[in-house]
Amino acid sequence: MIILECPYCHEQRVEDELRYGGEANIQRATDPTAVSDEVWTDYLFMRTNPKGWRDEQWCCEAGCGQWFKVRRHSVSHAIETVARFDVVL
Amino acid sequence: MDRSHPLDFSFNGVAMKGYAGDTLASALLANSVNIVARSFKYRRPRGFFGVGAEDPNSAVAVQDGYSYEPALRAGQVWLAQGMKARSVSGWPSVEFDLGAVTQLFSRVIGAGFYYKTFKWPGWEFFEPFIRKATGFGAPLKVANDRTVQQRHAVCDVLIIGAGPAGLAAATALRGSGLKVFVADDQKEPGGSCRWECARLDGIPAAAWSRQITAKIAADADCTLLAATTVTGAYENEMFILVQTIMDERGVRGERVWKLMARYVVLASGMVDRPLLFEGNDRPGVMLSSAVRRFIGEFGVSPARRLAVYTNNDSAYLTALQAKAAGVDVVAIVDTRSANSAIYLNEARAVGITCYCESQIESTRGYRRLEAIGLRQAATPNIVWIFCDGVAVSGGWTPATQLAAHRGIKPQYDAERSMFVCKDLPESWFAVGGANGALDLQVAMDQAHAAAHAIAEATFTTLNGQRCIASARGFGAIQPFWLPAQGNPHRMWVDLQNDVKVSDIALAVQENYVSVEHLKRYTTLGMGTDQGRTSNVNGLALLAALSGCAISEVGATSFRPPYTATSMRSIAGARSGDLYRPRRYLPAHGVHLAHGAVVLDFGWERPDWYRSNGADRETAVRAEMASVRHGVGVFDSSSLGKIEVTGPDAAAFLARFYVSNMATLKPGRVRYSVMLREDGVIFDDGVVTCLAENHYLASPTSGNAEAVTAWFERWRQTEWPHSRVAIANVTSNWASIAIAGPKARELLIRLEPGFEASGEAFAHMEFREGPVGGVPARVARISFTGELQYEISVPARYAGSLLQSLLAEAALAPLPIGMEAWLRLRLEKGYIHLGSDTNGRTTPLDVGMGSIVSKRKDDFIGKRSLQLSFAIEERREQLVGLIAKRGMLETGGRILARGHVRSPCPTEGYVTSACESPALERSIGLALLEHGHQRNGETVHVLCGKNLIECFVCDPTFYDPKNERLHA
Repeated sequence: MIILECPYCHEQRVEDELRYGGEANIQRATDPTAVSDEVWTDYLFMRTNPKGWRDEQWCCEAGCGQWFKVRRHSVSHAIETVARFDVVL
Repeated sequence: MDRSHPLDFSFNGVAMKGYAGDTLASALLANSVNIVARSFKYRRPRGFFGVGAEDPNSAVAVQDGYSYEPALRAGQVWLAQGMKARSVSGWPSVEFDLGAVTQLFSRVIGAGFYYKTFKWPGWEFFEPFIRKATGFGAPLKVANDRTVQQRHAVCDVLIIGAGPAGLAAATALRGSGLKVFVADDQKEPGGSCRWECARLDGIPAAAWSRQITAKIAADADCTLLAATTVTGAYENEMFILVQTIMDERGVRGERVWKLMARYVVLASGMVDRPLLFEGNDRPGVMLSSAVRRFIGEFGVSPARRLAVYTNNDSAYLTALQAKAAGVDVVAIVDTRSANSAIYLNEARAVGITCYCESQIESTRGYRRLEAIGLRQAATPNIVWIFCDGVAVSGGWTPATQLAAHRGIKPQYDAERSMFVCKDLPESWFAVGGANGALDLQVAMDQAHAAAHAIAEATFTTLNGQRCIASARGFGAIQPFWLPAQGNPHRMWVDLQNDVKVSDIALAVQENYVSVEHLKRYTTLGMGTDQGRTSNVNGLALLAALSGCAISEVGATSFRPPYTATSMRSIAGARSGDLYRPRRYLPAHGVHLAHGAVVLDFGWERPDWYRSNGADRETAVRAEMASVRHGVGVFDSSSLGKIEVTGPDAAAFLARFYVSNMATLKPGRVRYSVMLREDGVIFDDGVVTCLAENHYLASPTSGNAEAVTAWFERWRQTEWPHSRVAIANVTSNWASIAIAGPKARELLIRLEPGFEASGEAFAHMEFREGPVGGVPARVARISFTGELQYEISVPARYAGSLLQSLLAEAALAPLPIGMEAWLRLRLEKGYIHLGSDTNGRTTPLDVGMGSIVSKRKDDFIGKRSLQLSFAIEERREQLVGLIAKRGMLETGGRILARGHVRSPCPTEGYVTSACESPALERSIGLALLEHGHQRNGETVHVLCGKNLIECFVCDPTFYDPKNERLHA
């Protein structure tokens, strides 16, 4: 069970109350027409999926509704950082 | 055991007596039941082999005063008054099983038999026999009065197992202020204290455990859960516990705990494992530790004349305990030499004959063990000893399954010849048997040390003293895996699945030498006992036969649950009406008053109205006719309503829709679709510009929450500087649509001042103003192809608005259900999201290509429409189908060109279909490869068994010039 403290409302929530949103720091091209098919499909589909630390998006869905970032270990599920969405991890 | 409290129960229809505190297994043994089940493959008679979860044999179906369970292990069932138990294997009975004839073919149905059936002569040949033979127990439809609860809890320390080590850890932690949970799967805590001959802190172990248990139970910081199995260990130290709540009639309820712990003390004990010998599966052969427990705790001896067979010292304790209890112990057979056996003289002193450096080579008896034949080293002859029970001990297996759930691989410890967990996470401590402790004082010291390590890590202090144990240790072991003598076809490794030494040898011969392959090829350890007594022997044989060390072979992994958990307790209260909340329309009562037949469409919505016809088809046709020729009233309140406001609202919405919402003027409505970033249609609906910087998006009924979350996520994560606010107001407003040529008249009757003329209020326009005296938002939009107004009022007016509309008897408005509404839109060729689109459909496929190409700026998913998948030739595109004759059916497959008979390739499928009153034909929408270039073509559609010939056409079947829409 993953328990996170929302960096916006500071409530502790269990994973049932949160929503997982995949890898964080996925950049959308400012002008999608200017990028190649490869760059665009990488943005759409390619994720790093490391065995180890990874940055993820989570949403305080049952609480304040804010999206935030989490650095989590994909094997141990240990949580290193929980940060507001605009923070660069 | 409470001998003053007798209980009546029955087994296979025979009335029997037991006592409170008995398990079903001990009560059956006391009633001299030899054969409790049949083995899976050869249907051989099976008696009790273990005493609890480890027993591979005793699968029984149990009916108690509350419920019925189809497959439990007898050792895990606590006897209750009036309990009815049955064997779940054996036909016609467990005593006499015709299926035992399969033994004659045992040579040809060895390891990998299932796999080989695919080769020759084919699976179809074997399937009927195999299907008939598989499965334990049958579900019964009986009243279930068992309650199920779910609870969540958090603690500092979870102690798994309340045997001596678990209780010692709990005692040490008491008074530290740490919140401790102790869970034990037995009805009464104490574990081996209840049956082993030991003294703790100077008093008998049983008395010690009762004292400690009472203290723990009285401590406010401790929660002691008896009859509670920890079934799974998950990440971040979350555990699932299943607590059984019993009374004299049986299991009254179950409570499932989701428990978070900071520290874990694994004190789950260990089980004996058997030794292999010819005929080692006969009823009467039992684990040595099980014999000790049956005698020590339940006062029942599994045999009258008991032999003991061992490669270690613990089985001598069994012999001594049995002897002390008055059982005739006829022999101890030890594979080791006399100078290894530390209790040899003690056993001889009480008159037990001991055979050292000896092996059991054969056995006699079919329905019950009758004799063992043993051979002493250096003697040529077999000595036959008559006995009806053998207690076997081939070493121990710590119960490390829960650690394995966390991904910890147990490692082989050659000195103790057992698998132990060596690299546990920092927050885990394995103590006692679970850590392979073979001496009670060692177990108590490990528990004490674990408690101190937890105290140190949590900056708390402990007051208790270390517990002093006085007990005979389990001594040393000398591994003995594969006997030199005896027929390997007659040596059972897995008693439940009938895996024999010969099967493992065959698997090795066929090169299935990885443990995971061996397991699946032979089904070793795949039974309901999860190989608790068979895995290690199997691995050791694999190692011996493939010539490598056991440590190299490794162990298979365990996954939750630790022992069988009922689906009912997992579901908890979430069944029937409580499965999920029902969503009702605000005017639900008015619909019911008009005879609505309500179905679950995500919302409880009228499908059709009994007031419109005696049966569904008649009513639906009447409803369709009223919309086409008069006026119909449809409740569309479930449609999503999301208000988007703010200076950037127009630009914000424009990023989501294929059509440019930035150009939408106040008072105007626009229909469009919304894409996912990969170009696939996510939702469709209209957007209304209520006023400057104030928009109302109407997603489909099922998507209101998802679209709100979608807007909100993009706002927060991609465009955080957009000045917009998003609010889901779906349930604040009720929407009633009135559709048909007389819709305008109906609107004016209700609100005479409403400027509803075609010039004042055109199609795709929006007006605000009172309707029926109530503030309303009215949109002139159409899903039916007729003149249609959608009147939205605050939800509390839904019922009165609906009633007022239906009360205009002069216009004879009919209430319209979902079925008629969807058929009307099908005639008009409007898509129904999720029916006429799938997870691949793009706007280009549904005829919106020109809108996409007109858009100059970006919107979500636009770039993906240039990818090769979106523009490839063979895409399935939306078309209309008109049947030449016959009835089209949703899901009908369209045969590939040139084919008129199935089986053949197909090129698409019917997504919606109905009988069209307007066309007097069966029509449908379909996704068809190259569809947009196939107008006028004839295709063949396979609907069930019928082949329907159809024309491909434009999807707009009804009023293609939109004259009625603009009326």
